[in-house]
Amino acid sequence: MKNILTISKREVARLRARFSGRSRAVVLAIIALTIISSGVVYHQDLVISKGLYIVGVSTHGPSIEDKRFTVVELEPETGYNLLRQGTIDLYIEGNEIVWRDDDRSQHAAGALRQYLGKQELFMISNNYDLNRAFPLRVEIRYFRASTGGTGAQTETSLLDILESTERTAQPTGTSPSRGSEVPSISRPASRGLDETGTTKAAPPSKPVSPYMLPLTEAPDESLLEVASNTDAAVRQQLAELRDSRPLPKFRAEFVSEDDVIIPSLMKPPIPLAQVIVAFLYVVPIFFVSLFFTSSFTEEKINRKLVVLLSAPVTPLEIILGKMLPYLAYSALVIVIITIALGGNVLLGLAIFTPVMLFIFSIYLAVALTYRTFKDQTFFSVFAMSAITIYLIGPTMFIGVSDLSHISPLTLAVEMYRGESFHFSEYLLATTPLYLVFLLATFLGTRVFNEEYLMGFRPLPTKVAEALYLAMDKNHLNISVLLLSMFFVPVVFIVQLVSIVFASNLPSPFTLWFLLVISVIIEEIAKSTGVVVLWQNNVTKSSKDVFIFSFLSALGFLLGEKLLVFLALGVLSESIFVSAVFGAGLLIAPLVLHVVSTSVVCLTTARLGIKYYPLAIAAGTIIHTLYNLYVIGVVW
Amino acid sequence: MVSEYLALLRRELKSLLREKTILFAIVVQLFIASFSSIILIGIMAFYDPTSIAATTKVNVKVGVVGDTSSPMLEYLRDNKLTVKRFLNLSDAEAGFQSGQVDTVMFIPEGRAGVVNMKLILPELDAKKTLILMVLNEPLKRYENYLRQVNGVQLNYISSGGKPYTTYEFLYSVIIPVLMFLPSLIAGSIVIDTVSEELEDKTFDTLMSAPVSLGQVLAAKISAAVITASIQMVMWVGLLRLNSIIVQKPTLVILASVIIAATLSVGTAIIALYFKDRERAQFVYSIALVATIGGSYFLSPSPFNLIARLAAGNPDVGVLEVALYTVPLIMISLLFINMSGKLTLMRR
Repeated sequence: MKNILTISKREVARLRARFSGRSRAVVLAIIALTIISSGVVYHQDLVISKGLYIVGVSTHGPSIEDKRFTVVELEPETGYNLLRQGTIDLYIEGNEIVWRDDDRSQHAAGALRQYLGKQELFMISNNYDLNRAFPLRVEIRYFRASTGGTGAQTETSLLDILESTERTAQPTGTSPSRGSEVPSISRPASRGLDETGTTKAAPPSKPVSPYMLPLTEAPDESLLEVASNTDAAVRQQLAELRDSRPLPKFRAEFVSEDDVIIPSLMKPPIPLAQVIVAFLYVVPIFFVSLFFTSSFTEEKINRKLVVLLSAPVTPLEIILGKMLPYLAYSALVIVIITIALGGNVLLGLAIFTPVMLFIFSIYLAVALTYRTFKDQTFFSVFAMSAITIYLIGPTMFIGVSDLSHISPLTLAVEMYRGESFHFSEYLLATTPLYLVFLLATFLGTRVFNEEYLMGFRPLPTKVAEALYLAMDKNHLNISVLLLSMFFVPVVFIVQLVSIVFASNLPSPFTLWFLLVISVIIEEIAKSTGVVVLWQNNVTKSSKDVFIFSFLSALGFLLGEKLLVFLALGVLSESIFVSAVFGAGLLIAPLVLHVVSTSVVCLTTARLGIKYYPLAIAAGTIIHTLYNLYVIGVVW
Repeated sequence: MVSEYLALLRRELKSLLREKTILFAIVVQLFIASFSSIILIGIMAFYDPTSIAATTKVNVKVGVVGDTSSPMLEYLRDNKLTVKRFLNLSDAEAGFQSGQVDTVMFIPEGRAGVVNMKLILPELDAKKTLILMVLNEPLKRYENYLRQVNGVQLNYISSGGKPYTTYEFLYSVIIPVLMFLPSLIAGSIVIDTVSEELEDKTFDTLMSAPVSLGQVLAAKISAAVITASIQMVMWVGLLRLNSIIVQKPTLVILASVIIAATLSVGTAIIALYFKDRERAQFVYSIALVATIGGSYFLSPSPFNLIARLAAGNPDVGVLEVALYTVPLIMISLLFINMSGKLTLMRR
């Protein structure tokens, strides 16, 4: 322990020395400038599509305050001409929107409609009393679908739930028209511009002008009726609508959905909020990762590594010692940001600590593997992108699919919304991260020798070397089994990132691509350990290769089932999950894994390492056929 | 003079290609592109619920109790939702429990005044948001119908025109990001190549050859900008393959190249000042945040300029792009001024 602290102190001293004198002042100045400019930008009215649409308006047209629109006042004749030419995207005459048939114009029409629709809502809320302007109140009630047969009769029934709400407001004024025909709703007041220039239109049936200034007289008191409990919700949501800005104010944004919904005031939750939260937490950590990796690289280059290795410290102490200052800094960042956003500090730490550990384990792997700066830069950036995708990708599906629980960020969003999550969900999101950290640290200690660290070899060779060093020569059987088991979270993460990649492809290819890629990743994971042993002449015969293949397959299957066991509680109905983790009895999958792995390993042993890709292909075919059979596509 | 510069340029480009730098850069950008498309899908799902049915293959089944002759059912069916009518509450409950329906809607009798509808959602399911999003459109139509009953008329009810949210996100965020990523990477490359020479002390060796410091640095910066430009052209092509059209591609690429050059000159200054890669990259990443924040105040801002050019706005063109050469010229002058001094400075 003391050694770890010593090394940490040394690391901090190194950092201090890097920035001394004038450079320290420059850096601090730049940091201050960054914080100030970020703060200023945040408080601006950020419009991302400023001036994207060009709109012509006639003299009595509506006023458009939205910065997305560049507004020009035009006479109708000029307006239609310019519209035809494409100089403007829309022309508004009176309260009719005229658009062209091309994409640009239609998108502009959609945006303008939304804006004018919103203005209309404000107008009617000013001109009419709440009960006329927003007559429909939808109350949400949650009902727990019973898990059948538990026997307890204390569950509330639907009737109880419905009757527990307050009495509804009294109807007013005109008696309800319950005729069988539906009163026609006026056609949308916009029309297309056809080639001859004549416009085809259905004029609005009632001459209400939404663009006129709201009436200044107070609404008729006699129309106000007994205030319904839902009125408060209407007022609050109206206020939120008026106040809305493109960037979320975090506290308000993450408040859980209202129990009363007014359809025209319903705001979809902006998925960008997840992205911003992710960046806030993760970017400060990425900044310092640079120093972490160069801490190792520098010592490699200075040849100080030799000195360090001869000192009475273990590789584990060195690795943890160097990591400790950065972990402490990251923990501090997590605490500060969680407090700033108004979250629960303990929960925030619980959620983001595994994320932090995961990031540092990836950077540890990069640092120990690469020799040149150029390689390091790019693999670091590569790692950063992959990590970001892994964290943010699943959160796009919050509220839509259980896939979102793969990312710990979903837990963070739920925390900020005040929703609770199950411990099993926490485990599912964080276990792969913790496991990767343990695996990386373990591998790091095993490769921490001069020859490996200073060696200049291509990546696959380095990986193979690392794996060989990781295995305990006296207990090869257990090593192979455990290696495959520990590969499972890595395989899991890589497969998830490939899902994101696959979403780029056109639809029918996506599933095929995923099926094949997942299998390839698995086969590589299972066979690597055995092939490495064979390469180093540890295996003496085909029988040895087969035994190791069996153990590797077994270890992988065990790891897989453990993960599925975790996941079953959370991920319910996703075709991706069943494609990736085919559940089922244990024997059939075990036989499959043994067969495919032995095919790969024996083929490589027989033909040579150059044929490894071919061997993988063979194993993949067998495995894929099996998967297709299970899913029911084949036979 | 020019031939030496070209020779140096060739050397730099070869070095970049040999180290598979381009390949890495492309893979990274592909990653980030996939990431953006995931966000796009997310946004589409939330703002354009009719696309949800296509992407998640989920059909929301709505159970209706109460006034089952209400026009609400027609609106539900218009949105391709399965509607099941129940005669009473216990039937509805049974339907909900057995999974026949995903949600139960209780429509009260009476259509005037306030109508308090109740919606029963499953408590533990992740589909809550999905159900609400899919019901949004029919509920809004019903609300407008009730408004009409109450004598309130709206003109701009939704539907008409194309969904603009994805359009705006695509042109205002994704395309500018794709155009600027090569520039960011170019800046990083410059830092790497400059600090490499400084640390290996090969600058001194170079100086003994008949080349000037300016030529060496110019070659390094140009190499980075050229690789960035190639990537930008590739992106425009890739987007077109994905049916996303970048209008005015020449101007878009030109503007992005100018910005790439500005960034590269800036990072060259940083690299020369700090002299080692570690500190230079660190300062670069922080300064980048400041620059991106500050650039918002330019008019048009870089993001906005690319967005409007790519969307085909007629009101931006050569003039605005030409304006961006001003910061480039300014920082180049600064660089030329400082580079001699910086190289000779102590660490």
